[in-house]
Amino acid sequence: MALKESEAIVLRTYPLREADLLVTLFTRAEGKVRGVARSAKKSKRRFGGALEPLTYVRAYYEDRERQELARLDSCEVLESPLATEVGYPRAVALAHVAELLDELLPDRETNDAAFRLALSVIAGLRGADVWMPVTYFELWMTRLMGYLPDLGECMICGRPLNGSRAFFHALTDGLMCVDDKRLASSEISGDSRVLAAHMFRAPVENFAGTRWPKKQGSDLRKFLIQTLQRHIEKKLVTAGMLEKISA
Amino acid sequence: MSKFAEPMVRLIDSLKKLPGIGAKSAQRLAFHILRSSDEDAEGLAAAVRDVKAKLRLCSNCNNITDVDPCVYCSSATRNQRMVCVVEEPTNIAAIEKTKHFNGVYHVLHGSISPLHGVGPDQLRISNLMRRVDDGQVDEVILATNPTIEGEATATYLSGQLRRAGLKVTRIAMGIPVGSDIEYADEITMLKAMEGRREL
Ligand SMILES: [Zn+2]
Ligand SMILES: [Zn+2]
Repeated sequence: MALKESEAIVLRTYPLREADLLVTLFTRAEGKVRGVARSAKKSKRRFGGALEPLTYVRAYYEDRERQELARLDSCEVLESPLATEVGYPRAVALAHVAELLDELLPDRETNDAAFRLALSVIAGLRGADVWMPVTYFELWMTRLMGYLPDLGECMICGRPLNGSRAFFHALTDGLMCVDDKRLASSEISGDSRVLAAHMFRAPVENFAGTRWPKKQGSDLRKFLIQTLQRHIEKKLVTAGMLEKISA
Repeated sequence: MSKFAEPMVRLIDSLKKLPGIGAKSAQRLAFHILRSSDEDAEGLAAAVRDVKAKLRLCSNCNNITDVDPCVYCSSATRNQRMVCVVEEPTNIAAIEKTKHFNGVYHVLHGSISPLHGVGPDQLRISNLMRRVDDGQVDEVILATNPTIEGEATATYLSGQLRRAGLKVTRIAMGIPVGSDIEYADEITMLKAMEGRREL
């Protein structure tokens, strides 16, 4: 079969047999593609650092007859996260982006919006601050996957929430007004809802350079993670790791 | 009903749990053991038992050892004030092969790996900090892998190890000896340039 070529973001690798690696790629051309990189574990010559998670590569691969896994022929590094110092918060944030893409994207379905989003957020994660890019990414991924409810009105009574208090609950989809909130709900501040509205109107670069403590938008992130976890029906490992990072 | 006698099934099942061993290989190994001499089979069984009964981690450096402290930590000819930090015990052999490192080691037994839920708290670093705080160390060489996880681990450790008078170094990364720089990928080349030295 013919060799395919696509820009791609490496999401994860797993050891496979003695010397091979199973690689999950988010390709621009075909969405999430899983393939085998032969001898990648033993001989680093062919792939070098190209298979490190969140490396932006040009991938060459081919599908094999009656097989689900593609054969990964080679990868050319376009941009490596290793080019910038990998501090602990940055490592967790990068892993978070990889985990979200891997868990949320279906196999072999093109999603150019998510691809562009991922590239710009990975670029945003070159700086010291992780909370802004992480918040931006979670918000947009939730929306692109179609999981984001209307943040402007109460899901129970339909009352507009602008200017009034709003609540969310791990088991329900939307926001609730103060009268309709369920037991053990959490509050999402008006500031965070305004922040979300801003983030929907501007690229991630526009938010770079502003000081962004962990506290900022933490209620929004909690709401987004709960929403995502409810849809994929599992816990996101890196969400817990992010939570534990000190501000 | 199984096609093998029960002890055979048990052996095959145990062998199948080993990494890289599938059902076919497990069967082949099991029959090889069955056909081997009593002495060889006993030797294998005893070796498996001893590895669990007699080996433990060195209380000083976490290396796998049958004596505590391990041979490196108790050596009078090695420089006990120069500590090389590695991810796995098997990494020690790779460094020993050079015959040019005369310091001692510290084994982390892993690296920071957020996708697997492994943060700094899960690494074995407390006894390294103790050695440093007791003034036993002049230099720490961070020899974790040149991967995102290895880098994150090294960066984290260098932050934790910042002490007056303590030198913290990171092993160089770059072009493999005997290769051609024409074939080095962008990131390997970048790291090689960063790690250049004066001649
Ligand atoms: Zn309501
Ligand atoms: Zn030792």
